[in-house]
Amino acid sequence: MMTKSRLAFFINKIKSMAWPVSVDAEVCNYQRRVWINVLVFSMVCLLMMVFFLSCQQKKSANVLTIGLPEEPRTLNVWLASDANSWKILSQIYQGMYVRDPDTLELIPWLAENMPVLETQTMSYLVKLKKAKWSDGTDFTAHDVAFTAGVFLDFKVPRYYSKWKAIDKIEVVDDHTVRFFLKEPSAIVLSRVFTAPMVSRAQWQAVAEAALKTQKPLRTLQNHTVEKPLGTGPFMISTYRKGTFVYMKKNPWFFGTGTTIAHRRLGPWVDGVIYKMYGTSDVAILALQKGEIDMYWWGIEPGYVKDLKKAPDIELFHNPKSALYFMGFNLRKAPFDDRVLRRAIATLIDKEFIVTRLLQNYGVPMHSIVPPGNRFWHNPDVSRYSKGMNHKQRIQRACDMLQQSGYSWQVSPVDQVGNLREPSTICLPNGEAMKKITILTPPADYDPKRAFAGMMIQEWLREIGIPAFAKPMSFSALLDKVKGKHDFDAFVLGYGKLNLDPDYVRTFFYSKNDKPRGWNMSGYNNPVFDALANAQRLEMDKNKRRVLLLEMQQILLQDLPYIPLYNPDILEASSRKRFDGWVETLEGIGNLWSLCMVKPVTASGAEKP
Amino acid sequence: MSYNSGFTQRFSTSWKIFIKNPLGKAGLALLMLFAFMALASFALPFIGDMYDPMTGVDPLVLHSVGPSAVHWLGTDFIGRDIFCQLLEGSKIAFIVGLASAFISIVIGTVVGMVSGYAGGIVDMLLMRLADMVMVLPSLVILLIIAALFGQLNIWMIVFLIAILRWPAVARVIRSQTLSLKQRPFIEASRVAGASNVRIIFKHIMPNVLPLAFLYMTFRVTSAILVEASLSFLGFGDPGQISWGMMLQWVWSSGHMFQAPYWLLPPGICISLLTLSFYMVGRAMDEVLDPRLRKEGKPS
Amino acid sequence: MNRSLFLFKKTLELFILFFLILTVLFFLFRLAPGDPVTRMVDPMLTPEDAAHLIEQMGLDKPLTTQYMIYVKNFFTGNLGFSFHYGEPVARVILSRLPCTLLLFTTSTLLAALAGIFLGKLSAWHKGSRLDGVLSISALVCHTLFVPWFALMMLWVLGFQVGWFPLGGIISPELWIADSSFMIKTLDVLHHMLLPLLTLFIIHVGSYLLLMRSSMLSVLKEDYILTARAKGLTDRVIRNGHAAKNASLPVVTSVGLSLAFSINGGALTEQIFTWPGIGRELIFAVSNNDYPLAQGCFLLIAAVVLSANLIVDLLYAWLDPRIHY
Repeated sequence: MMTKSRLAFFINKIKSMAWPVSVDAEVCNYQRRVWINVLVFSMVCLLMMVFFLSCQQKKSANVLTIGLPEEPRTLNVWLASDANSWKILSQIYQGMYVRDPDTLELIPWLAENMPVLETQTMSYLVKLKKAKWSDGTDFTAHDVAFTAGVFLDFKVPRYYSKWKAIDKIEVVDDHTVRFFLKEPSAIVLSRVFTAPMVSRAQWQAVAEAALKTQKPLRTLQNHTVEKPLGTGPFMISTYRKGTFVYMKKNPWFFGTGTTIAHRRLGPWVDGVIYKMYGTSDVAILALQKGEIDMYWWGIEPGYVKDLKKAPDIELFHNPKSALYFMGFNLRKAPFDDRVLRRAIATLIDKEFIVTRLLQNYGVPMHSIVPPGNRFWHNPDVSRYSKGMNHKQRIQRACDMLQQSGYSWQVSPVDQVGNLREPSTICLPNGEAMKKITILTPPADYDPKRAFAGMMIQEWLREIGIPAFAKPMSFSALLDKVKGKHDFDAFVLGYGKLNLDPDYVRTFFYSKNDKPRGWNMSGYNNPVFDALANAQRLEMDKNKRRVLLLEMQQILLQDLPYIPLYNPDILEASSRKRFDGWVETLEGIGNLWSLCMVKPVTASGAEKP
Repeated sequence: MSYNSGFTQRFSTSWKIFIKNPLGKAGLALLMLFAFMALASFALPFIGDMYDPMTGVDPLVLHSVGPSAVHWLGTDFIGRDIFCQLLEGSKIAFIVGLASAFISIVIGTVVGMVSGYAGGIVDMLLMRLADMVMVLPSLVILLIIAALFGQLNIWMIVFLIAILRWPAVARVIRSQTLSLKQRPFIEASRVAGASNVRIIFKHIMPNVLPLAFLYMTFRVTSAILVEASLSFLGFGDPGQISWGMMLQWVWSSGHMFQAPYWLLPPGICISLLTLSFYMVGRAMDEVLDPRLRKEGKPS
Repeated sequence: MNRSLFLFKKTLELFILFFLILTVLFFLFRLAPGDPVTRMVDPMLTPEDAAHLIEQMGLDKPLTTQYMIYVKNFFTGNLGFSFHYGEPVARVILSRLPCTLLLFTTSTLLAALAGIFLGKLSAWHKGSRLDGVLSISALVCHTLFVPWFALMMLWVLGFQVGWFPLGGIISPELWIADSSFMIKTLDVLHHMLLPLLTLFIIHVGSYLLLMRSSMLSVLKEDYILTARAKGLTDRVIRNGHAAKNASLPVVTSVGLSLAFSINGGALTEQIFTWPGIGRELIFAVSNNDYPLAQGCFLLIAAVVLSANLIVDLLYAWLDPRIHY
């Protein structure tokens, strides 16, 4: 009992300390006055502080500020798999060849010139530039050989399967490397020689130690890299997790002052600050307010009207190398029937999707290779609903289905040719079609695809197909479609397709029809497979093109995927402080822009 | 005095006190307005295809436009009428709010009564369970479930909200039951040979119902807010128009600060509807308060 | 029962509960469809690559084995490595925790203080115009739709008026320029004000309402009547007798909501780009970063559970009617 009363006393004491209440009236009054004074004082302090800070000029003249939609998760080049980490890393780690921003052809970057193919030995000879790492040491052929060694020893995802094509690497001298191929391969240049090169000095000890552990790749990926060593235009100066990344100009950058792709490269800024914004809306407000000079992420068409009115904002509108499509499960009824897939292709109004959902910032897609990829795109593939209106689509689809044995109790088109509410469609074997699910990504991941799914559902119902669009979480969706193959149809997309069209093979090659394989539809066509393999071995670009055009034609006949649309990328920057962004496929967020952006000076850095 | 008789009479006196309360009056008026909106949404299919909140598209409108005679609140980015969506949204808000509140009240009341009446180990287990559910942050749990198991449909959301929100009710009902248990009329019916189930449902339930009903109005508020947040973040049911979903569309299509005619109505409606339920609840609280306090005191 | 036994029982109960949550969480995340590799939609990633990654993450082992490893590591203080950060989970969490604590503790405390003060006034002047205005505004604050309101605040105060930065916790420009400590502190405060104000407005309503109703019920108690009979002044009765006792439930609720704030601010953190735990949790869950998601959630569970324990104990001490 003793302790209890002491405790109560104690608690009371604490309470009276925390709460300025007292039984005594005068003390009470006094305390109140003190409190009011403290309150007023702190309010004044706060206000002063706010004005002090908002008046202050924070920007240093020559530092570019770029907004990012999410935090770069890691600086470890072996681990990074998110887009935002790569935005940082791509300024640091460079490949031997890059794409020219205008022609989209590969041009020498860390390499001195284009590789020389020796057909007898099946080998490429690559001469390297006299580049330096960002600590001033030389970049040599040994670094290239070391990087290749890591790709192969650790089976680094994404690279290993491509680098397997290399039989061995010979360091001829400090700046010459010879790559011996196992067999002719059309994709070596675009997939192997563009890989990022790392420094042997920085990684050798780490790699050797990691190889001795049980999980070598995981150990390598979990290695913390404070200051990655690269050959690119920028290097890490400060990286505060969750808040910002500051990159300084790399004084040793090999491109500075040279002219590559008709551009005299900088970087012309002293550094770049990358800031994070939790939502795009706020990032765009920040752009208008001048907190950032550019937002490195596509913006929604809804912003355009307002941004056009803002005097300092410059809008960029560029095509993307993307493919958004509806895919079918060819392994089971009802979508194993090509006629049904063609009827659906007829019903889908791509124009509607593009004009409404994309607000005209995009193009309808008719082939698997996007039209922006001019050299490889086949414009002459079969089109199913060209120039038809709503009624004609339904009539045409009905005809197609009726001819191959589908039937209705109440058909969608009556004798006079008018539309009506149909009964459920019956398959050629007489059974009514069962419920069809169209899986789409959820609204939080991509509202457009979720919405496209809803629209397609409505169109299919108009001819009595019992379709149900079902958005599901992205992981769950891919698990069903790619892992378990348990689905009817889906709407998915690839946002950043490589410019090399080898993916046409990847997506539809019959051997890729396995769990986690990329042939999600289960497409199996020996003729196509033969062409797909042939194009991979074809070293002559023009001959390869013929093969690829034919592959596209076959795919659009068989329709394992119905290509839907290819959105454009809209980006915005502020021209108040910097200009000179380089527009290319995928927009202005690229290495070239960062090498070319210049501060706007009073004397005028006007471009000719 | 029998506690079973005069229920209707007690109700009518309570009603008189309730309607005198300005909060209650205002809340009820607002509630009626939203109920009318919800009812009006059933008429939408008869007006025309263009006014279907989900699929109706104005063929002349290619992007979001402001209010006009044809579209009272303007259209969204694909040309659907915002006013129609608002009506449909109020229907969904009522369904979500009332249904999940009702389910959680049913669970909470049953658990509370059983736990209070049975006592002992049953009481201990049920209350520990309630504690456990109570410490779970509902929005985060819902987000996790939505993110892990794919998109939830509207009924799943209703059910999950209910499952996460019953413990507070159970606690209150339990303490109420505890005090009722001591009353002579319960003792009398037990002596008269009434079974436990009969005592719980015949004698205890009518007396805890007003309290349960009061808590229901508060649950409605939180259920509507949780559903709206979930939809706003894009984890809602995209096949169903709700106010949160409308805000999601404004947000994801980049009209957040460009289209006030589209952004403001759903946000204001969410606040007003929850406010009206809350005001009704408060007014009821004041009606029930004095009597409950006297009954609820531990004896 | 004596006090230490009670304490022991409670703590044991919490440990069992915590362990239960850990187990449920572990299996919940792993049984959900997909794995960390599923989301990598990159045609360069072959099925062999995916299998290799899964093996390297240790996710190819049977679930029970993985569970044993996790539990063993957990008790040696190792929460594992985040799949996406490539860093120990504990380090990631520790770097985020101070931000969350700073913002939410401050806002909750401020809101509670203001709520108690205003609630007291409102209850004391029940029925007056002051009471009406306060109650209605509190109700409006209480029913605000949080993300909507937060974005509105950002738009008006951050953009149109331009007093506050549009998010984040520091201005990088100041930090790379070697500013003084004073400037840096002011900068953090400057960034904090807007989210603080938003959270304050959202929370103050419920504290006000709670305090008001608690105060009203206290005012009916006998000892208040006694105090009046003794002829004490209104202010003394209000501040000295009534408010002191009436603020008890508010204090309890502050304790609990401090615990909840660690996660509850996910939405606010997202909108204000506040680098806290809530954002990390949402990211980890939606990217199947199991170790990180579990780490965040276990932290939340631990804090909420211990806050509950403390509240329980406090009540047991304060209320003589509760026996151990």
